[in-house]
Order: sequence, then C-alpha cells, then structure tokens
Amino acid sequence: MPSPRLLQAFTRHVQEKPDSTALVFAGRRVTYADLDRLTHLAAADLDGAGFGSVRALCVPAHKSPETVALLLAAWRQGINTLVPSPGLGTAALSTLTAQAHGPLSAVAVPGGGAVLSREETDPTLADGFSAPDPEESLLTLTTSGSTGVPKLVPVRTEAFDRFGDWATEKFGIDGTTSSLSFSPLNFDLALLDVWTVLEAGGTVVLADAGASGDAGYLRDLTQSNEVTLVQGVPLLHRLLAADDARYPTVRTVVFTGEAVSEQGLRDAFAACPAARFHNVFGCTETNDSFVQDIDPDAYVHPLPIGAPIDGTDAVLLIEGPDGTEVLRGPGTGELLVHTPFQTCGYLEQARNAHAFMPDPRGGGAMFYRTGDLVHRDADGRYFLQGRTDFQVKVRGVRTNTLEVETVLGAHPDVVEAAVVALPCPEAGTRLHAEVVRRDGTSLSSLGLRAYAAKHLPRHAVPSSVGLACTPLPKTATGKPDRNSIKKTQLNGDV
Amino acid sequence: MSTVANDPIRAYIVSEFLAGEDAEDLTDDFDLIESTVVNSLGLVRLISWISETYSIPVDDIPLEPAAYRTLADIRGFVGRAAPAAV
Repeated sequence: MPSPRLLQAFTRHVQEKPDSTALVFAGRRVTYADLDRLTHLAAADLDGAGFGSVRALCVPAHKSPETVALLLAAWRQGINTLVPSPGLGTAALSTLTAQAHGPLSAVAVPGGGAVLSREETDPTLADGFSAPDPEESLLTLTTSGSTGVPKLVPVRTEAFDRFGDWATEKFGIDGTTSSLSFSPLNFDLALLDVWTVLEAGGTVVLADAGASGDAGYLRDLTQSNEVTLVQGVPLLHRLLAADDARYPTVRTVVFTGEAVSEQGLRDAFAACPAARFHNVFGCTETNDSFVQDIDPDAYVHPLPIGAPIDGTDAVLLIEGPDGTEVLRGPGTGELLVHTPFQTCGYLEQARNAHAFMPDPRGGGAMFYRTGDLVHRDADGRYFLQGRTDFQVKVRGVRTNTLEVETVLGAHPDVVEAAVVALPCPEAGTRLHAEVVRRDGTSLSSLGLRAYAAKHLPRHAVPSSVGLACTPLPKTATGKPDRNSIKKTQLNGDV
Repeated sequence: MSTVANDPIRAYIVSEFLAGEDAEDLTDDFDLIESTVVNSLGLVRLISWISETYSIPVDDIPLEPAAYRTLADIRGFVGRAAPAAV
C-alpha cells in the first residue's frame, strides 16, 4: 500500500530478509536488499534534481523494478505520485500533469535512479481541480475515460491500509505469496498484486507489458516462479489455461474486471487444481466492493457479483412514481456503494456532484453512483445486469461506446456512426463501428481506423469497421438502432 | 502495389484482421500497429502464422511490435529470416 505502513513494512523486510526475492522482472530476481538499493538511487535523484520541496510528481507507469523503487522513494519523501499509463499521448499526459498541480515528471532509469523534468504547462488547466494532498493520499490513480484525458482519483492512505488488511486476510497473503502482476502498474489491481504483496514481504512477478497476449510466455513465467496468486481479467485466466497448462502452486485465483464465461471458469478450475477461486467486483473510485467465493463443485453461472465486502454498504436506486427511490427487497436498480476503501473524490471538483451523493436513506456517508444496473435476489445476492449508460468493458478497461461514436462522428467525412460491443472469443468484448460516409468522399475503413487510433486510447479503437452508404437503421425516437446493428453483426449477416 | 495473388503476407493480414472491410488502401507503409489493426493478441497470432508458414523457429522471431509495423517490415523480416521463401 502506498502508505507509511507499507514503507515501514518494506524497511522491516529489507532488514529481516534482505535476500528474499521482492520482484522478478525479465528473468532478473530483485531481492529486498536490491530493491532498497534502487530506492536509495531514486531518492538521491529526487533530492538532487534541484526542484526544492516536491509535493506532487507524475511517474508514468513503465513496468519495471526501477519504477517500483521510484514510487517507494517518492512516497518515503511524502510526495503524492500521479501514475498514468505510459501509453498516453504526450498531449494527454501533459494535461493530466497540469490538472494534478504537478509540473514535475520523473521517469525511472534502467539500473536505478530517475530523470526529472519540469513540464511547461498552461496553469489554467488546473482551474477547478483540487491539489492532491500528500498528507491524505500518496497515490493518484487514473480511470479510463474512454476518450481524451482520464479522470484523476486520489487514493486515501487510510483507505489503502484498510484495503490491505481486508485483502491480506481474504486472500491469505503473506511472506510466502508469489503473485503474478499481469495488469499495468497504473491499474487499481496493482494495489493488491503489487503493493499488498510487497507489504506482506512476498514476491511480485512482473509480467512484461509487451508480451501480455502471449500464452506461452505467461505460462513459463507463472510456472517457473511458482506463482501462488493470480488476479486478472478473464482474458488472463484464459491465456493461462491454454494448451491444458497446469499450475499446482497456485493457491488463489481472483477474477475481476468483467464477467467470466462458464467455459473460462471450468478451464481455470482445471488449470489450478489446488486453488481457491474468487470473483471481485469494484472500480477505481471505490476499489473492491463485492466478493464472491466460487466453489468449483457448486457454483451458479452467471456468477453473482457476490455480497458486499465487510464495511461496504450497497443501495439500489429505482425510478418510482415520485421520482428516484431506494429499492427494498429483491429487484433491479442502479447500484450505489460506499466502501471502506473509496476515494475522497475526483480532483476535478465539478465531477463529484454527479458521481457521489449522500446516503439516499439519510445519513452522511458518501455513496458512489456506479452506473451499474444490478439485480438483487430474495437471498440478498447481487447480479450484474448491465449499465445504465453506454459503458462496456474492453479487455478490462471501462469504455463508453457513446464517446467513441462522438469521436468517429467528428471525422469530417463521417455523416453518422454507431458503435456496439460484440462478444469476442479472445478479448471477451470487442467494439464494432458502423459508419455512414459522406457522399463523394474517399474515406476508407483503414483511414477511419488510423483516425480513431490517433484520437482514442487503444482499447477504445473499434476492432472492425463497417462502412455504409445508406443511413443507419433508426429506432422510433430517431436514434441509431444499436440493437439491430448488433444483431446483424452477431448473425454474420454483413 | 502487390496484388493479393502473389502476396501471401498481405492476403493473411486482410483475411485475418480486415475481413469484410475494404482494404484497397492497405499500402506497404500503412502502420498496422499504430492503427490497432494488429493489437497485442493479433501480434501473437501473426507471429505464430509467420513461424508456421515460413518455418522460422518462434525463438528466432522478435516479439516487439516495431518489427511488424508495416507490410514492408514484415516482408523484410521474413526475407532475412527465410530467404528462400520470399
């Protein structure tokens, strides 16, 4: 956890078990003593850069022991680190840095140390954004706005420690844990599979971001390092289970991010015969909110998202005759949650009024509006039904198809565009765009993909494009009939 | 520009990643990675296809996307690794 408690635990591990492996990366073992040495090299560069007292620092999440060390060093100096995806474009990155009131960026250097730079940014970009307070939070995560600039979510130190306590007990994390870190360091999943594991004195096996689609690489990595904890989107579990691979050392399997197929579940049961299985549900704003333990001999599919985690309060909102009301008993409504792990709000103050609201039953606790449509059955189990808006998950990343449509529609040669999510055997969900081109223009589907790739993050770029000359089918209210487009695609009637 | 008939690499890219789409402007220098026509999963499929089609051991094939950015890059790599094949 990015908290003083994590740093104390780390110092203790360096003293008590210096030769234990803290990280494995690219075939290299980094002991706790090695990681401590890297942390001191990074700290020296932070001190020596001549920028005076630093309160906020942008550290792009290049996955490496040096970046882990740089973050530890910054936290030790009481600096709030903004950790964005290293794949963000330079324009988006510089906007984010400005919004977080941190003109300084630091990139870890292979072998140890860091290079600091000061961004020349437009200070008015920070208008309306709170400055992150290192007293309250040492880490600012980003959530994938599917277009443009991500949202800034500070993670409270005390919320982190509470999450660490819960996860450590729930998933049996200790000094013998060896976790596979599959997702990027900027994802909230790293709070469990990197930071909680390091706090416990375990080993984190960092999967190379560039080889994340490679089943053979992941299998070798997991088997040769005797991984015990695997957390990730269904895609990861599917890759691991390919070719009937077996992982006798895995004790804990955590599904997260999106719904797992029944075949995916069965393959995971077979691949990890000694493991306990869990499904967790949450988002960056609240961290995990629901957990479901999965018994391979007695499970239901689709899986429930489970029951609220201890300390989590969940409310379903419905539209009643007199406006919005709280659903009592079984039924379906929009999920609102309050968790012990949640953020104190986006840095952008204007966003908070829509996303957070006080307990609708009365009381002061702040609830996060998830936008998830959830069904509660008579036994109090919760099932995800979909979204109240246009959000889907593509490779575990929240993506708003309406926003993708807006970007495609902004192309000068496009008359209208509709984007639908289709099931995909590899990635779970993929996006398809149906686009009407302006008469007499030469826009091609390749041209449109190249345009989309320039203006959208990779996960939000449609993986197939249909160019039509006739208007898109419409609903009675004149909106693109996305259901009809989806059906046409699913039936292969292209 | 090569035609599909004598360009198996182009034919593979079109059938595997651009099925049903107009691929007329898929030029030799079109950036397949940047445009996300080939994503990280697609890259693994592409590499395994190259390995099988041209009998190049997988271990001899670089995993980094930069080696497969364009049709010209792929053709160049295959030409160096399996000169008899192209």
